[in-house]
Amino acid sequence: MTPEEKKLRSKERTARIMIWMATRSSRNKSLIDKLCRRMITRATHVNPEDDFMRDPFVDNDEGYDPDELDRYQRGETA
Amino acid sequence: MPAPIPFDPQEIADAKYIKRPVREGVTTKRALCATCDIACSVVTESKNGRVVKVRSSDNPIFRDHICMKGIVAPKGFANPNRILHPLKRVGERGSGKWEQVSWEDAMADIGSRLKKVIADHGPEAWAVSTSQWNTSTDHGLGRRLMNHVGSPNWISGVALCAGNTAAVNRFTYGWFPFGDFSGTKCIVLMGHNPRRHSWTPLYNNIRAAQRRGAKLIVMDPRRSSSAERADIWLPLKVGSDAAMLLGWLKVIIDEELYDKEFVAKWTVGFEDLRKRVDEYPLDRVAKLTGCDPGMIAEAARIYATSGPSIIPWTPITDMQRNSTSGIRLQSILRSICGYLDMPGGELLQGYNPDIINESEIEMHSALSEEQKAKQLGSQDHPAFTYRGQAAFREPTKRVYGQEYANLVMGCHMATPSATFRAMAGEGQYPVKAFFFLGNNPLMSYANMPMILKGMMNQDLIVAHEQFMTPSAQLADYILPADSWLERPWLHDMFGWMSTVRFSEKSMEPPGTCKSTFEFWKLMAGALDQPEVVPWDTIEDFYDYRVARTGKTFEKLISETEVHFTKPAFRKYEKTGFATPSGKVELKSSVLGDLGFDPLPYFREDPPKDEAYPLSLFTGVREDGFFQTGHRHIPEMRARHPEPEIFLNEKTARESGVSEGDWVVVENQLGRMKAKLAIKDAMPDDLVRVPHGWWKPEMRQGNGHLSGLHDFSDSQLCRDDDDFLDREQGIPHIKGVPCRVVKLTPEMSDAAYTGTSDTGTADTLAKTAAPALEPAE
Repeated sequence: MTPEEKKLRSKERTARIMIWMATRSSRNKSLIDKLCRRMITRATHVNPEDDFMRDPFVDNDEGYDPDELDRYQRGETA
Repeated sequence: MPAPIPFDPQEIADAKYIKRPVREGVTTKRALCATCDIACSVVTESKNGRVVKVRSSDNPIFRDHICMKGIVAPKGFANPNRILHPLKRVGERGSGKWEQVSWEDAMADIGSRLKKVIADHGPEAWAVSTSQWNTSTDHGLGRRLMNHVGSPNWISGVALCAGNTAAVNRFTYGWFPFGDFSGTKCIVLMGHNPRRHSWTPLYNNIRAAQRRGAKLIVMDPRRSSSAERADIWLPLKVGSDAAMLLGWLKVIIDEELYDKEFVAKWTVGFEDLRKRVDEYPLDRVAKLTGCDPGMIAEAARIYATSGPSIIPWTPITDMQRNSTSGIRLQSILRSICGYLDMPGGELLQGYNPDIINESEIEMHSALSEEQKAKQLGSQDHPAFTYRGQAAFREPTKRVYGQEYANLVMGCHMATPSATFRAMAGEGQYPVKAFFFLGNNPLMSYANMPMILKGMMNQDLIVAHEQFMTPSAQLADYILPADSWLERPWLHDMFGWMSTVRFSEKSMEPPGTCKSTFEFWKLMAGALDQPEVVPWDTIEDFYDYRVARTGKTFEKLISETEVHFTKPAFRKYEKTGFATPSGKVELKSSVLGDLGFDPLPYFREDPPKDEAYPLSLFTGVREDGFFQTGHRHIPEMRARHPEPEIFLNEKTARESGVSEGDWVVVENQLGRMKAKLAIKDAMPDDLVRVPHGWWKPEMRQGNGHLSGLHDFSDSQLCRDDDDFLDREQGIPHIKGVPCRVVKLTPEMSDAAYTGTSDTGTADTLAKTAAPALEPAE
């Protein structure tokens, strides 16, 4: 195996570990699952002041009131 | 309620994330948003049996994958004018008069009328237009039924957006790669401009990669927001993507920056490619693209030496006169620089072996070779038709285990323009029955006058829709469609990636709305072929699809929202590539055999007509809308009440128009009106035209079509030979000659537009409901 192939296989192993963690994190049931989720959450954490995904339309959304949607559906409100 | 609008950039910068507790009495479900074609993982919150909120996933790998369109979905689907029951046309086509009928009566009549069309004209006289991202539960069942009935004439908007890219990528290496954003060191955006509220996960991935230090190269005539963040911005002439990439190749080959070992071992046609590339020295490329040769060379060097690099899919190159060459050049760059199936490069994932994929479900082998040969457009422009893709059957079986790979649904389509001509009675044979599902064909393809003529010439038109779109207004039947909140979904990423994701049903559909799965099941029954869709429910169907996992769909979805395959790289070292030669075909044997130039080239613009001194590009839309949808949602219309074209100050002055004017954009094919916005990010002589505009509040019916004749960009999109890609037959909509003039009172009367009302966002609440005739 050439050094380049060794490097590739090493990256492949890393990718497999990451996918395994993502799988467990997505399941989020057992202790290991929750640990994986915590690790991924920490690894992907961004300070709010640096976070390009922050957006008031998203952050301030409180959803709808079901009665409000009912009235809208009946054509009573705009 | 969503945040007050509009907001400004400072407000965004100041915003802080606040984790809100789950509200009492609220049920949550993990869902996939189908508002656009990205399929963001989201969470829905329901109260009293209806979804009241859509927010981003709790899963950190899908963090912040939510945009304003997803947030307003509960209100969008609660619109009072949503179609809730089947409607049957009464009176002339397009008269705007409807009768409410039952599903049973509708399907019985549709089945009987379709059988008559087939008996009179052959099964190929039935055409279907759809895309599977918003219908979701089609899963190829439409193709499956058409294949059993004998019609090859399935068309889709993916013919000029991703589907065609997938088909053309196969000419080079047999599959359609997806960029590994998480490990890449350089990203090249070709005209694409993902934003916080438009293709959100892509924006997230690109920004995250930049934060890690990845370089960003942007090619865009406009100074887009991505261009402003780029390491290099190449402000190329609109529609010159292929010329630019030929210039990149010239630099990379001349300076020997390519992966020599990969090229020697895994490619064919390199010397021929080199000779072709030699025809494009940088001074010629600079003239064709309008960019500085030094900048072109620097960008090429960064791409080749900073890697692994990725050129993510872009809808911009898809929609050009040189689309096939442009897409091929992207795939050639990926290959010769050694980025294929590498960490941080372009992943060739293949299918997820645990799931029965949609290409299998489609059962293309059930359609006879004789009927395949009748596919419209396949003689003149075969690239993504059965004829153009036939050579990949054996290699695909060898590498991916099955003959047919309908990647992103784009690999076995009829060409849209040829189909509409056949519908209008100007094709090689007549098409007399036209179905469209979750699709607004009048506004989704080029040459709207021809589409309108074709639709008015049909014996049967069936729409499966949520709202009374301009196209639905011409139907014989409109069948009420469910929404992504109201159905489960198993999403296999259209074969593009091997990851499979799941979506829970969040609420019951209103009225008698049905899923596309149910529509095709009923249609199979109406055509006396119930065995073609044998599953009783969508859940049964999904159990069948996931059986290889050893679990039921219910079990899988209760455990997770995502199912991965084990990653592996350079798989081609074991299997070869899924091309006839088994190698990367820099010189395409398949294109050569089809009678086309096997090497990429650049076809220059036709001579300019002095009457139309400007160039327009279309296909772009505002953040609050996707394609032709969402104009009925008050919050979104408040953000964008009117269609707007963009010009820079100089071009506006030369055209005699000013900021805020109502203007007309016109060319040899047609015209549309819009308001003018002056943007200094626009280059001289270029017009940005918004895609997909109509106004649900405006008058319905033929001659009006809710503002279609006023605002639809499809009236400007030409499909004559000078404006078609030769190999695919898709239209060039990035650089169409036009002019802009001020709208005068004479122009805005009914005689000009065919309408007598204008419609504004203020009148949205009074949106015209379908005019129902008393049931007989």
